[in-house]
Amino acid sequence: MGLNGFSPKAITQGIDPRAMKTGVRRVVRAGRQLNFYYFWEKRWFFIAVAIGFGMLQLPLPADLSREGMIVLTMSVVATILFVTEPVPLPTVALMIVVGQVILLGLESTQVAKSLMTDSVLFIMGSLMLAVAVVKQKLDKRIAWLIVRITGTKTSYICFGISAVSGLLASFIGEHTVAAMMLPVGITLITLTSDDPKAVRNLAAVLLFSISYGCSVAGIGTPSGGARNAIMIGYWKEFFYDPTDPETRKFLIDYVHWMAYAYPLFLVQLPFVTMILLFTFRPEYRNLSRAIVKLRAEVDMQGGLKPGDWIAILIFFLVLAGWITASADIGMGTVAIFGAIGFLVAGLVKWEDINSGVNWGVVLLYAAAISLGVQMKDTGAAHWVAEHFLDVLKQFGAGEGIGLWAAVSGLTTFVTNTMSNGAAVAVLGPIVLNLATAAQESPIVIGYITAVSSAFAYLTVVGTPACTIVYASGYLKTTDFLKVGWKMCVMSIIVMILGAYFYWPLLGT
Amino acid sequence: MNTDDDGYRQELEDRFAERSERFRVLVCIDGSDESYLGLKYASRMGAHRADCDIILLYVRPTDQGLHSGGLQVRVARENMLSWGLELPGIRRLRKGLETLVGEEELKQEWTAETTTSTVEGDPLGDNKIEYRHPSGRTIVLKLKVASDAASGILDQYELGPYNLIIIGSGRRGRSRLRATLTPSVSEKVAYHAPCSVLLVRDLVAGQGHLVCVDGSQFSKDVVRQEAMIAQRFPDPKLSAVCVAEDDEGIPEAERIVNEIRDMLKSELNFDLRGTYVRVGDPVEQIVDAGKDYSVIVLGDSGKGTMSRILGGGVSTDVMRLAHNSVMIMR
Repeated sequence: MGLNGFSPKAITQGIDPRAMKTGVRRVVRAGRQLNFYYFWEKRWFFIAVAIGFGMLQLPLPADLSREGMIVLTMSVVATILFVTEPVPLPTVALMIVVGQVILLGLESTQVAKSLMTDSVLFIMGSLMLAVAVVKQKLDKRIAWLIVRITGTKTSYICFGISAVSGLLASFIGEHTVAAMMLPVGITLITLTSDDPKAVRNLAAVLLFSISYGCSVAGIGTPSGGARNAIMIGYWKEFFYDPTDPETRKFLIDYVHWMAYAYPLFLVQLPFVTMILLFTFRPEYRNLSRAIVKLRAEVDMQGGLKPGDWIAILIFFLVLAGWITASADIGMGTVAIFGAIGFLVAGLVKWEDINSGVNWGVVLLYAAAISLGVQMKDTGAAHWVAEHFLDVLKQFGAGEGIGLWAAVSGLTTFVTNTMSNGAAVAVLGPIVLNLATAAQESPIVIGYITAVSSAFAYLTVVGTPACTIVYASGYLKTTDFLKVGWKMCVMSIIVMILGAYFYWPLLGT
Repeated sequence: MNTDDDGYRQELEDRFAERSERFRVLVCIDGSDESYLGLKYASRMGAHRADCDIILLYVRPTDQGLHSGGLQVRVARENMLSWGLELPGIRRLRKGLETLVGEEELKQEWTAETTTSTVEGDPLGDNKIEYRHPSGRTIVLKLKVASDAASGILDQYELGPYNLIIIGSGRRGRSRLRATLTPSVSEKVAYHAPCSVLLVRDLVAGQGHLVCVDGSQFSKDVVRQEAMIAQRFPDPKLSAVCVAEDDEGIPEAERIVNEIRDMLKSELNFDLRGTYVRVGDPVEQIVDAGKDYSVIVLGDSGKGTMSRILGGGVSTDVMRLAHNSVMIMR
């Protein structure tokens, strides 16, 4: 017997350790921890439900219908749950579906139909495309291309990384590029020095170049992120009337979006590198050692294979489809078409797609958009917008730049607390109604919301690129705060200036 | 797992029985200086003994993709692996291993065995490297995946009993309410772990342990257990303190410490360095008396969450307020 025939645990607990392994023990332990702890861990769920219940008991405001109140309540509860996450987020989506049937009394088939729109199809398709693109392993070549152009100076490489990440991310989504480029960043770091402490600042600069490069680019085109597709969906749903040719301007196509948003991305790009280098001052000014080794790795890979060429071809076909055909057949259809192409060509396995896409996100956006449409249909969004506008007027922010800044600030705040797609899905109906109530252009306000939702630089969970880069283990959450606020200020200024001076030239 | 559930259970049972014969220390590594101090302490405690297993644990969060815009982080992770990059945490565990065993010795004398087990929702699962020495000592590097660090550490206990969990605990002086409502990882582990926990805070080795006693049977068990841990050190130094609430309690307190001393002498042939009696508030006195020692040792007060908010407990309060390391005995 070990320990002089005496097992301390058995004595203090009075249990034979062998009797502790079965289900009984788990139940006993769960019972002990269940009491208060379970409720404490899930407190926000119960608080949210209590708030929802309380809201439904309130007397109805004169100018809000009963249905409007229910939808508003559901939105408030969903927002609290999005931010605090006491339950897995797809649960919130399921709750929205059930709530629409039970609380609103809608036909179940009708609710189910409202879940699938072209925007949701697009989100699903572009996620499948994302997995397919990452699996093509073109990242080493891209990395090599970057350093061939930039040389070995750290500052040039950083700019090169954010520029190339950005250019790619603006078309195929920031998460795709972040996942592709993350190994590039880490490889450059580890090849420079094995000791993480000696390259802390270098690591921050390189990794943030990827994530912020992707984040500022996500606004560039409709396919840059889910939020853009959601906003396009809202414009069409809320303002487009097939019988009225005047409203055709609310059908925003790919090129139209790019004309508005792409310049904003390009202007921000040099500032990203400047802010990063200024904040983190990397330990090494030259990365030649790492680049020599990187070159050796790329050489080992050999030339482009036929499969790689096919992948590039499909990618450009999808891009061309988005630009030329999305107005007729929908962006979602084009994205799905691309996914089919990769699968038929055998460039990606369905199993990879199946495990690489988080289908809960598709469900989440579907439910959030469906709820957003209900917000509009029941008049709840209009009601909130009018009251919000009254408040804004008191601060002199009822119109023009004041209103823009208020919308942008609100979106930036919300997007830092939840995923940016959810932020646009929740805020979209309100701000678009705000625009009509304030007699501003819903298109301008919509762009401001969609663009501002990319300003989630402050937290790890804010943008997909930040989350993925954080998974490298090189960054601390405080790093995001340290540099993020400068990025926020820069981005908001660039966007307001763009909205004031540039967008009017496009004729809105 | 359903079909061979019984076989699996039997295997677990056997392993549990085998392991309960050994002195097993779980050291939680998070890359902080405190965690390496804790590791050195574990090494002093057992590295030279044949019946000692030291397990180095690094818990990394589950890769999940809701925040990454629907693309699972695993896609990025798999891409990283295909570049030959290590998972975060591996390097930290390696550094820990180096403080325990020199590189040459590891190559020549130890045998290594690598195992991987799948975890739902993560492409890479748990990774484990087990190093065995002919004398029977083992060192295990374990990279575990869990939703958060505390539950990862607590789950690890289920896989094999441990005698002691060592974990770094940097911050001192959190309020009782905060420590209870938003416990840090080390506090969570200290509250919920089924075995003893050493919270490492500015650990200076070699100054001995101070064990706190009251008259209860439980505190006798604590002292007995602590004496056996102390005996594992090359130069065991253990003192006992009993705090009386007021002057009238002094004779009783003296009787308790003397009884403890006699008990250790007769049962385990172990000599206490010294015995003290202090008067006043137990928490303040223990924190003050403990300043000169490496570690303050207390029994777990066994209180639930509710009573922790309302009344605290001597052990949890000392844990929050002590200037140095605290060991909670169970």
